[in-house]
Amino acid sequence: MKRGLISPAERATPAIRRTLRAVQALLLGALLLTGLGPVLWLAKAALTPTQDTLRAPLAIFPSGLDLANLLTAWTRVEIDKYFLNTVVIAAGSWLVQLLVATTAGYALAVLRPRYGPVVTAVVLGTLFVPAIVLLVPLYLTVVRTGMINTFWAVWLPAGASAFNVVLVQRFFANLPREVLEAARVDGAGPVRVFWSVVLPLSRPILGVVSVFAVVASWKDFLWPLLVLPDPAVQPLSVRLPALQRYVELDVFLAALALSSVIPVALFLVFQRLFLQSGALEGAVKG
Amino acid sequence: MRRGGLTSLLFLAPLLVVFGVFSWAPIVQSVVMSFQKTNLVGPTRFVGLDNFVQVLNDPLLWTAVGNTLWFALLALVFGYPLPLVTAVLISEVRARRGLFSALAYLPVVVPPVVAVLLWKFFYDASPSGVFNTVLGWVGLGPWQWLQNPGSAMPALVLEATWAAAGGTVIIYLAALAGVPVEQYEAAEIDGAGIWRKVWHVTLPRLRGVLLVTFILQIIGTAQVFLEPFLFTGGGPANSTMTILLLIYDYAFASSLGGDYGAATALSIMLAAVLAVLSAAYLRVTRTWSAS
Amino acid sequence: MTSHRSRVAAALVLPLALAACGSSPDDEVGADGKVVLTVAMDAGLEGKAIEAFNARVAQFEQAHADIDVKPQEYTWTAATFTAQLAGGTAPDVLTVPFTDGRGLIERGQIADISAQVDALPYAKSLNPTVAKAGQSADGRQWAVPIAAYGQALHYNRTLFGQAGLDPDKPPTTWAEVRAAAKQITERTGQAGYAQMTQGNTGGWILTTLDYAFGGRTEKLDGANAEATIDTPEMTEVLTSLRAMRWDDNSMGANFLYDWAGINQDFAAGRIGMYVSGGGNYGNLVTQNGLKPADYGVTALPLADKPDAGVLGGGTLAVVSPKVGDRGKEAAVKWIDFYYMGKLTNQDAAVADAKTLADTKQPVGAPALPVVDRATYDKQQEWTKQYVNVPLNQMKPYTDRMFDQPLVTEPTKSTQEVYKILDTTVQTLLTDRGADVAALLKKADADAQATIGRG
Repeated sequence: MKRGLISPAERATPAIRRTLRAVQALLLGALLLTGLGPVLWLAKAALTPTQDTLRAPLAIFPSGLDLANLLTAWTRVEIDKYFLNTVVIAAGSWLVQLLVATTAGYALAVLRPRYGPVVTAVVLGTLFVPAIVLLVPLYLTVVRTGMINTFWAVWLPAGASAFNVVLVQRFFANLPREVLEAARVDGAGPVRVFWSVVLPLSRPILGVVSVFAVVASWKDFLWPLLVLPDPAVQPLSVRLPALQRYVELDVFLAALALSSVIPVALFLVFQRLFLQSGALEGAVKG
Repeated sequence: MRRGGLTSLLFLAPLLVVFGVFSWAPIVQSVVMSFQKTNLVGPTRFVGLDNFVQVLNDPLLWTAVGNTLWFALLALVFGYPLPLVTAVLISEVRARRGLFSALAYLPVVVPPVVAVLLWKFFYDASPSGVFNTVLGWVGLGPWQWLQNPGSAMPALVLEATWAAAGGTVIIYLAALAGVPVEQYEAAEIDGAGIWRKVWHVTLPRLRGVLLVTFILQIIGTAQVFLEPFLFTGGGPANSTMTILLLIYDYAFASSLGGDYGAATALSIMLAAVLAVLSAAYLRVTRTWSAS
Repeated sequence: MTSHRSRVAAALVLPLALAACGSSPDDEVGADGKVVLTVAMDAGLEGKAIEAFNARVAQFEQAHADIDVKPQEYTWTAATFTAQLAGGTAPDVLTVPFTDGRGLIERGQIADISAQVDALPYAKSLNPTVAKAGQSADGRQWAVPIAAYGQALHYNRTLFGQAGLDPDKPPTTWAEVRAAAKQITERTGQAGYAQMTQGNTGGWILTTLDYAFGGRTEKLDGANAEATIDTPEMTEVLTSLRAMRWDDNSMGANFLYDWAGINQDFAAGRIGMYVSGGGNYGNLVTQNGLKPADYGVTALPLADKPDAGVLGGGTLAVVSPKVGDRGKEAAVKWIDFYYMGKLTNQDAAVADAKTLADTKQPVGAPALPVVDRATYDKQQEWTKQYVNVPLNQMKPYTDRMFDQPLVTEPTKSTQEVYKILDTTVQTLLTDRGADVAALLKKADADAQATIGRG
């Protein structure tokens, strides 16, 4: 591992080494407490009867486990259904975003029609417009077109992400042109070049766009709240606050825990991908 | 390469349709609607600047602006130095650095709605609330948390910082990895200690990314919605009413139909401010990535 | 650059903008010449309840060969309701709370069905206080009241017992409410008395208390209205609340309750008493899992003043402004058949009560007469055998509910004024230094400005 701020010579100094150790131990403690603490508490509360959680929230299972909470949350509160909605919404948004970004990126960066710069400019222009401006008119559009309470109302607007288009377009523009030329000389049409050459070469950027798309969809709240008033089609993020009022506390906390399990598990498995895209967010956004 | 042609248009079609219907049209419509009154049933009337005047005369607007600025300021005080310090410390960890960054990032992975609802329970103001129990151990409290106009906003910011800091830590870690070791070595040859290296090498190298996260945070906090909406609904006594919550209230809170004119007028005013910030941001990132 | 960009945008946008214009009322007629009517069906019903609903639809269609009824799952949501109504994605016939009746009528957001309603046999015998909620300013019946209730004081019998209070003798004056609340908090540690404060419910309950203390929040004079919030009655209300909150500390630790939130905490046994609609038992049991043994309800204590009264509320059936004349005819026939049938027709009332009982929904929670008292008594008689709620625990309320004068909600900018009062009550309960006189002065001025503008 390459060195950073502190030189090997400094590390060798006993005073610095001790201080460093103490600081790092403190840091680890603080991170465990703040990062893992609330998550562990939630996991504990999901298995604790309501009255225990209310009376002694920090005691560990004072009157035993209540495993039924999880089952009740999953079946009677129908977390499974909202979970499925969440997945379907994320998958559809992901697909629409990939479709729009890759086809547009290909047209603008590879095919480069004469009016391309104009389209690029208009797409880029929307980067300056915060999402909030779209809220009311977009909502009315969805109402008028009868898309309310359908997944399309979430999927399609998700596709209008200038950030994705710019990201993919830049990546496509930097693909080695010789490879594309060679494919064309071999008689591949534009569709073939897109599908068999450009897309396979673009896995890294598609991965990044995918992570952004899925994470954003998983986190979205206000928009689905507005366009999906019918509980039957709501994702977890919208349903959970409403459930809070109709579900007993222990079951509700179990529902919260269940809603976090998948994202947390995904994170633990794909840690590197998450952290890399997280870092990228700061570096490339804009 | 070919120019124009049906194929390009075909490939652009998804973009044109999706952006046309769900981005460009609503943007234009938003501007138009800010000069109109409508209840969606009767005829729509053009009212000139009435909506803007009405919004600017709403005493709640200034409460909301003040609260939003207060939120932004608190978020900067709590949330800006913390990830930087954490990142610098983590970057000097030799063993199990992955564990450190994973722990820091974990709250970011918890769905935001879950995080807010969980913290809402933590903030229970009775003596048996989670945080108040902890305070009780050290002889403090019970505190009112969300149930007091003075402490509600800081409580919101505390949760928001918890939820977001990990993301910033990761960004800083990436930037720290990019600081050339030679510069540290050069500083050491000049006799610099750890503090002077931080001050004269690390921070200057991070200037670009610090500015980026700063502007991103301002743009983000200007649009804060989830926390006040789910924690307090803007209360107690409007102490957590933010601009975005006010826009939501204008448009969607009244069961008799929203004041869409007022909502779009306020959106556009907020957007104008944010557009300036975004432009500044783009400029910064451009000069930064060029350097 | 900019002008260039916007021209491109305009070219792309114009056709869409034009296509998005509104349309005038028109009937939807099927190929078979039948008029199509979409009707609201409560969302999330159980299989058995849906079957029962569909059976009613079939019955109706048999009796009216020229109408094709299409049920649509629908739940009223404040945020999206009017936009859905205007966008045509709401059903043609749906229900809304009393609070919004006047506003919807004034803004022309629902259809005027008064001509069709007047032809109904019971049009003239509707309970006048109740009927008012669905009338335009000139007295025409644009909307049909289908359920009515008065506010009541709900209490937890178990907590009463634990606190050494007699669950069969709930408080009858506000001084007794205060004393009971104090005793509950001292002996059980739970909130003795809690109150809604959020999402306009703060104003709703504060107005209820104002009425109970003999006040009114608005004074109507022809077309003009004056806000009357800064009054001795309202001062008395706020002073009492402040004493409970800051002197006795008997109002618990949550001052950001909305309707669903307070129901939840009450059902969980964390609240001794609270004020809400008299028929609330159903929600508490089906949605919040209230233990029936905990439940008690009593009449709202009224001050000894001539104007003291109980704020009333209820549900209206309304018709979308999108339907034409045939649709309106059909809609009123459906309202008469489905909603009013349960109240006025023996077979329909029995069938409805049976379905409810079969699906474990409460039957027999207290309600006020929508039509006249005679009809109400008959309906109670028909459905008696299906009653499954603890009637005995509701006796303190049902014994007195008919004797209490019922007062309708304020009519001018109702929700906006409620919202202003939300802030008033939140300030009072969360800010120890809040000055009652100044709070009321401000609320009064704000409300007056809103009423003047609306």
